Amino acid sequence: MVYKVKLDVFEGPFDLLVYLIENAEMSIYDIQVAEITKQYIEYVERMKRIDANLAGEFMVLAATLIEIKSKMLLPRRVSEDDQELMEDPRSELVQKLLEYKQYKLVAAFLEEQEERMQRIHTKPQEDLSVYTNEPDIYLNLDLVAFVKAFKLFLERKKTLEEVRERYRIIERQRMTIEDRIEQIKHLFIKKKRLKFGEILGGERTRQNVVLTFLSMLELMRQKAVKVRQHVNFGEIVITVNEKEMAAKEGNNR
Amino acid sequence: MSLRETIKSAFESMMFVWGEPLDSKVAADIFNIDRKEAYELFKELQMEYETQNRGIRIREIDKAFQFCTWEGNDEYIRKLCTPVKEKRLSQSAMEVLAIIAYKQPVTKAEIESIRGIKCDRVIEGLIKKDLIEEVGRSTGIGRPILYGTTKTFLKNFGFKNLNDLPRMEDISDVIRESEEGEAADPLQITLEIPNK
Repeated sequence: MVYKVKLDVFEGPFDLLVYLIENAEMSIYDIQVAEITKQYIEYVERMKRIDANLAGEFMVLAATLIEIKSKMLLPRRVSEDDQELMEDPRSELVQKLLEYKQYKLVAAFLEEQEERMQRIHTKPQEDLSVYTNEPDIYLNLDLVAFVKAFKLFLERKKTLEEVRERYRIIERQRMTIEDRIEQIKHLFIKKKRLKFGEILGGERTRQNVVLTFLSMLELMRQKAVKVRQHVNFGEIVITVNEKEMAAKEGNNR
Repeated sequence: MSLRETIKSAFESMMFVWGEPLDSKVAADIFNIDRKEAYELFKELQMEYETQNRGIRIREIDKAFQFCTWEGNDEYIRKLCTPVKEKRLSQSAMEVLAIIAYKQPVTKAEIESIRGIKCDRVIEGLIKKDLIEEVGRSTGIGRPILYGTTKTFLKNFGFKNLNDLPRMEDISDVIRESEEGEAADPLQITLEIPNK
């Protein structure tokens, strides 16, 4: 999952620059580079705090702006025939901005067109199979074969019913450790100290013993209980740690 | 009925059953006439619906024709039921699509140089929506993929073909005109484009 952070409404560095120029009511053909560079960098600085990656993409243009700014400081030489001026350092940027603005306009036009088309409705193609000439398939059977088939069907049905009558599908109840822990917690409400045999209850199946034991270990790990066993194979005594148990309870809610 | 009338009437019925845009070539083959002739008959039919101000119109997508509702009736259709609306494109997707539509075939690098920002994700999204597709590879270094628009693009944005797109220079006029048109027609909802 990628989270896209949108900063204000700018779609990219040119979008921001066009906005700043228009906001300052400057002519795009006569950008006051120093002022715009300052504003641009200020914005990128603010942006850096939110999304450094995205700000990085804006940084390239900041560098270009600074380069243009420094070029602007150099005296512009007039070429020998006194006619031709050296190229304005801003002109390449201006070209790019104009091109970008043009496409922004196209995007607005497409958006309008999309909006318009949403007011026009068509029918999806329907299921045309009713029109296609599918020949019906007839069963090529004589009466004897048909009776035979029907008998077979009845017999199979009978057997199936018999089986259903005699057998039942028994589903094993699968309790999870989480469920078992809930049950054990309940036991600890009345008594603070219990023997393993007591929490095990009447059901001494292997499944239940393992499940209960695992649940006990889990509670131990959570530090909700303390467990003691004094001799090998002796009775396990479990003492509740009420504070932790309550905390876990709170977390679960 | 003249032969032309017979064929036209047949085309009308065929379009009704077909639902999807019906290719004039397919229709032409049924009558063993050439595509151009079939195309002209479709255009005549389209004209008839227009001049009679019908609630059903015929639209053209890449030399195929399809019945659709007249856009002015949208409001009433919506009162009757809620047609499924396609999700609209984001601003960045629209910009990339605009560049591809007018500069195709175009590489990702060219798109990125115009927008000044990476476009991978947007391009991916547009391909998924079937609005653009790979149309080949440039002969330039690394043979980068070239992108172009699809038939779905023409369909969703209401263009007959790529030549139907207004010229770049005329775009601002087209937008202005449609805004004026919207103001004059009380049936249409004005779309406010927020000024940044």
